[in-house]
Amino acid sequence: MTAKFLYRLLITVTMVTLVLTTGCERDVDTLSPAPLPTSPEVFLDVFGPDVDYQAFSNSKLDALTIDGVVKHEGSKSMRITVPSVGDPSGWFAGGAFVTGSPRNLSGYNALTFYAKASMVAPLGLAGFGNDNTGTSKFTAWQTDLSLTTVWQKYIIPIPLGQRLQAEQGVFQYSAGADGNGDGYYIWFDEVQFENLGTIAHPRPAISSQTVSAQIGDSVIVDGTIVTFDIAGSEVVVNAAPGYFSFESSDESVATVDADGVIEAVGVGSATITAQLGTVDAAGSVVVTVQGASPGPTAAAPTPTLPAGDVISLFSNAYTDVSVDTWSAAWDVADLADIQIAGDDTKLYTNLSFAGIEFTSSPIDASAMTHFHMDVWTPDPTAAPAAFKIKLVDFGADGAFGGGDDVEHELLLNGSTTPAMATGTWVGLDIPLSDFAGLTTQGHLAQLIISGDPNTVYLDNVYFFTASASTEPSVAAPTPTQSAGEVISLFSNAYTNVTVDTWSAAWDNADVADVQVVGNDTKLYTNLIFAGIEFTSAPIDATSMTHFHMDVWTPDPTASPAVFRMKLVDFGADGGFGGGDDVEHELTFDATTTPALTTGNWIGFDLPLADFTNLTTTGHLAQLIIVADPGPNTVYIDNVYFYGAGGTPTEPSTAAPTPTYPPGDVIALFSDPYTDVTVDTWSATWDNADLVDTVVAGDATKLYTNLVFAGIEFTSQTIDATTMTHFRIDIWTPDSTAAPAAFRVKLVDFGADGGFGGGDDVEHELTFDATTTPALITGNWISFDLPLTDFTNLTTTGHLAQLIIVADPGPNTVYMDNVLFHR
Amino acid sequence: MTEKRMTIFVMAMLLISLALFGCSDSTSSEDEWQLVWHDEFTGSAGQLPDADKWGYDIGTDWGNGQLEYDTDRPENVSLDGNGNLAIVARAESYQGRNYTSARITTRGLFEPTYGRFEARMKMPWGQGIWPAFWLLGANIDSVGWPQCGEIDIMEYRGQEPLFVHGTIHGPGYSGPQAVTRRFSLVNDRFDTGFHTFAIEWRPNEIRWFVDGRLYHTATPADVSGEWVYDHPYYIILNLAVGGSYVGPPNASTVFPQTLLIDWVRVYRAVP
Repeated sequence: MTAKFLYRLLITVTMVTLVLTTGCERDVDTLSPAPLPTSPEVFLDVFGPDVDYQAFSNSKLDALTIDGVVKHEGSKSMRITVPSVGDPSGWFAGGAFVTGSPRNLSGYNALTFYAKASMVAPLGLAGFGNDNTGTSKFTAWQTDLSLTTVWQKYIIPIPLGQRLQAEQGVFQYSAGADGNGDGYYIWFDEVQFENLGTIAHPRPAISSQTVSAQIGDSVIVDGTIVTFDIAGSEVVVNAAPGYFSFESSDESVATVDADGVIEAVGVGSATITAQLGTVDAAGSVVVTVQGASPGPTAAAPTPTLPAGDVISLFSNAYTDVSVDTWSAAWDVADLADIQIAGDDTKLYTNLSFAGIEFTSSPIDASAMTHFHMDVWTPDPTAAPAAFKIKLVDFGADGAFGGGDDVEHELLLNGSTTPAMATGTWVGLDIPLSDFAGLTTQGHLAQLIISGDPNTVYLDNVYFFTASASTEPSVAAPTPTQSAGEVISLFSNAYTNVTVDTWSAAWDNADVADVQVVGNDTKLYTNLIFAGIEFTSAPIDATSMTHFHMDVWTPDPTASPAVFRMKLVDFGADGGFGGGDDVEHELTFDATTTPALTTGNWIGFDLPLADFTNLTTTGHLAQLIIVADPGPNTVYIDNVYFYGAGGTPTEPSTAAPTPTYPPGDVIALFSDPYTDVTVDTWSATWDNADLVDTVVAGDATKLYTNLVFAGIEFTSQTIDATTMTHFRIDIWTPDSTAAPAAFRVKLVDFGADGGFGGGDDVEHELTFDATTTPALITGNWISFDLPLTDFTNLTTTGHLAQLIIVADPGPNTVYMDNVLFHR
Repeated sequence: MTEKRMTIFVMAMLLISLALFGCSDSTSSEDEWQLVWHDEFTGSAGQLPDADKWGYDIGTDWGNGQLEYDTDRPENVSLDGNGNLAIVARAESYQGRNYTSARITTRGLFEPTYGRFEARMKMPWGQGIWPAFWLLGANIDSVGWPQCGEIDIMEYRGQEPLFVHGTIHGPGYSGPQAVTRRFSLVNDRFDTGFHTFAIEWRPNEIRWFVDGRLYHTATPADVSGEWVYDHPYYIILNLAVGGSYVGPPNASTVFPQTLLIDWVRVYRAVP
């Protein structure tokens, strides 16, 4: 019988048997392809078929010899000479036994061998699946096997036989000198693969890990081991990840390949688990993937300033000047040029400090007023975070060093002005004057950013001058002089005299009547000089002491800007010329009192005496304002003369005497009535000085240095439930223009009549120059307040405190007629 | 595949065919055996064993220091739906114990004297796991143990998966002094496949078999005390956790552990 015939017979018998016994069908495709050899032998008395020994790099290359005397079975064994420390022939003994063509070892479940040593010694490593190419996927090994001087059988289970269908690495070992540095011999014999019925219960495991990763990061599954039971003993074998199959709970977050390499691919969390064949492995790898730091989704706002007002370092809106580098070689930062919504943007990551240099062509920012930069960061910006901006000027020599370099660094966070913020574009508009140490700005050469936000997007980095045609956002302060003391040319607060023109034909300015927050205002543009004439009805200001004018300009007010005011009196003849005309011009700039400032209402209160050459003021006919070389845009309001007597320091009359029937009044302090008991008119805890004074024969309280005063009647609280109003009269010599405010607070102690107890109620009313009644300087003001205005004062049966507050003023207050009435 | 291997394979297939179509009785007895009682454990998964054949010992310790609490819950004893009875030892807190399992008997239901008793079973494994297939003298309540007699057809220690033991306990030779012998598999283990465990019990002789191979014989000459094996006994199948015979489980013991019983058959000798 030929082998071929027998083989066919076998197939026939097998198929018949299977059909008869189980009825199962099986694909018996055994004719192709040629199966790989399944030889189990690595070394018995000679090397197994096709086996080659390859010593590891740096090992003792001649460590292996065939020993014809010592053997476990048969005639020969392999003897390994483990070198001692310092042996020049190699650091250790070790190598791989590799077959020339692959073997199918899937039918076995262990590599076994007998081994002993010339003394009790550890075998550092033994295993299989290493074909010495560095690309092995199915390596399995044990470490530190204990060898004795007698032959023992060692069993290294195959983690999963089905993986070894084409394996060339049939054995490997490595061993080094013992703890004393001594070399020794190891013998191996009967090295072969077996299928042992005593091996059972594979329990695979991987190291449990919790990993934070960013998209693109890779993590490897490690600690892949399999624990077997061999005849009742636990045996652990290290298994390359290739033996396992891996699964990700969310492939959109993390993928894992056949070799256990996990790749983070999306934001979220995924759990990687493993199986060995059909057995779940213990352990898992939890991968939490963060995206790259979030970035802005919208571009920074496009600047709107005219190009002529800007020196741009970086902005799509302007032509940029030459910048040598946005990340100097000496800095610590990573820079990327990116686009956000089509807008070029600089992205700094891992920012410690970044040097932006324009030394080859320094910037002359002396005509500029502000530095601008749009910043977006995902990082915290609340203090103690600090984003720092430093500007460096190389001085007149235009070069680093030379003794004239100046610089200044600003620190910004969420609570500075301007403030930083997280996750939003922040437009930083920083007056160059804030860079106090930057005393020259003609040769700016460096911008250095640094600090805590480690990721920063930058856009629209430029210097600008605030000459842009901005306008006041608030009206000029409303004058407080009493009308009787005022001759007004232009003010909503007064009746104005006739003015012939606000821009004479001969002047060089454009004027417009505009409103600023509802307040009439004159707007001069292209102003060089403007003639304001009232020649048809000259003004007699002889009883006046001051000239007043409010001025606002958006233009630079630094030198050489000046603003001049000239008053012209036509003299007794009331006409131009005639030899009796007099005039005087006052000049103001950023250094005078008052000083020119940009973007603020400047109140000029000028004693007429300062106009020294204006020797007569009975026929004032012209006011000429001059702004050469600037400010060329000027808002003007409240142009008037006023008398010095407008602000008496004490009332000349008593407060008006109340006329309520006594039965309708509960008086705390009022001459016509009998006052109730008041414990104090200035409690120890208050912040005010009090004197009892008399005004025109009427007893009056005078508070000075008043911030807040406590008036207490706690010992006998007042039941005002039958009253409808609270009245208080005050008089102050102080300015009552904003921000002056006067507040009146009433406190009721509730049913328990005592402070606290959960039933105290109170309400405070605030008055200023715009309320009803309004605060007025130099007049008795009678506050007759419905108790219902004190809306939170829900009970009035045990009133115990009156608190008056004047912060920031008026700080001097005369007070009378404090009473409840109905 | 080499020719030599193919030849072996052919012979193996022929043997299997014979085993299926013939009726292979591999005992070494000269008697004919007549099947008188059996349970094949066919039925749907989760079903309790046949109440006409099996009762439950519910409780714990049983005098051996066993750690489990034996219950009559399907979680611990039920058909597996594949023709086996599964006795499952679980690590769980129950009735003051940290493990549960089951112990079923034919007490009061089937109490023969003499016969061939066999069961086909697959063992659990691990330190502290102790399954047994055994007989206990039905007169235990009147005469006590060990006077009633005990025949252990199969005992197994989970930490020794290659070995089983056959034992008799009687007056004067119980516990450590019992008459016992162990059987070992070669290149195989009892927890990876089914094996058949049997005794042939006749007057004055008990013989133990694994997979038809006789490995132990006991006669009155072998015991140091009274031969107490001529009265009715009942069958017990149980899976203990811990106890004096195996010691407690340890950290490497895997739970749950299952004793699978394919069938139990009892034959009477026909002279």
